[in-house]
Amino acid sequence: MKLTPFKPNATATLATPLLIATAIAALFTLTSCMSPPVPPTQELQAAESAINAAEQARVADYASPELGEARDKLAAARTAVEQENMMVAQRLAEQSRVDAELAAAKSDAAKAQEVNDEMMKSTDSLKQEMQRNTGAQQ
Amino acid sequence: MKTHRHSTTKQAAVVIATVLLTACMTSPTKPEGATEARNKLMQLQSDPQLATRAPVAIKDAESAVRAAEQPQKDVALGQHLVYLADRKVEIASAQAQSRLLQDQRKSLSEQREGARLDSRTLEADNAKLDTKAAQQQNEDLQRQIVELNAKTTERGLVITLGDLLFATGKSELRGSASTHLDKLASFLNQHKDRTVVIEGHTDSVGSDGSNVSLSQRRADAVKTYLMHQSVESNRIEATGKGEGDPVATNDSASGRQQNRRVEVIIVNMATSSR
Repeated sequence: MKLTPFKPNATATLATPLLIATAIAALFTLTSCMSPPVPPTQELQAAESAINAAEQARVADYASPELGEARDKLAAARTAVEQENMMVAQRLAEQSRVDAELAAAKSDAAKAQEVNDEMMKSTDSLKQEMQRNTGAQQ
Repeated sequence: MKTHRHSTTKQAAVVIATVLLTACMTSPTKPEGATEARNKLMQLQSDPQLATRAPVAIKDAESAVRAAEQPQKDVALGQHLVYLADRKVEIASAQAQSRLLQDQRKSLSEQREGARLDSRTLEADNAKLDTKAAQQQNEDLQRQIVELNAKTTERGLVITLGDLLFATGKSELRGSASTHLDKLASFLNQHKDRTVVIEGHTDSVGSDGSNVSLSQRRADAVKTYLMHQSVESNRIEATGKGEGDPVATNDSASGRQQNRRVEVIIVNMATSSR
């Protein structure tokens, strides 16, 4: 494509409707890939309720670093909202939410494992006890 | 000139717009880490134990990974999507794991019930054997008691040794007494938890004092005999009751004969059968 450089004297007379429209479109485009101006309320709420759910499931008892990360990121997201850095805030909130959900899922799995281990242990001790009894009998 | 300027303006506008549109994009590439997330997901999906156990979470992870795999001009956005995808795969994996563990519980609980049942059966068998042994012991005891000619009374098991054991007015045992007393001694040696009280009794002939001392000496004679048969002395108490505790009238010869006696009371008999 051949580019024709602008001349200063030409620029002064360029106030045609077409160029104005282009400029507006350009501005729009620029702002559209910048931070949205409104705080990511929905994402923040989702992160908060995911953290609450994880806390209620006593995830902390199972020493989950993910829950700590979720809390830190939610706090950082709120700071970003105060600084009107909404894009950063939204991403931090989204990450906080998945962190909390992972913490809960991991803790569920750990608890399930604990129950199964307990069951296996009691079966084993029953078997052992029986072997002792059988031994005593014979 | 005017038309030319117009077309120049038009061209410039298009170029500016294009430049501005691509301003926040660099060359689009697949974000770093997306491949790893995909591999992790594939591993989960190909695990026969886990793949079917968290369908919703796996579907969720699948679309997150697909989003992360899209070439991004914005590197930070790409990293963000990869982070979300990676976490969602892990969530799906943990959920599938939980589900698998829950599903395993049925068989674990069956195993435990099986072990419990086995142990109960064994316990019952042992108890049956114990009962049988106890019954046997009880039968032995009953037979021995019958042989000893014992009577169950409130004071315990009472064995009455008639006056035929002793010569009149004497406290030495006659030889014929030994058969009966040997049975008692062997009973006491078998049942070490039993103690006995030996009581001497007389009829009303003679003075009270001499009757008490005669009955005491006769009771002592029985105690001595039992001690010679290895029954511990601390398990035997011998007392002379004299004529004060008759079981029949002293007015007739047969009544007096019944009153002249030694009673052996086996205590503790009622407390247990062992």
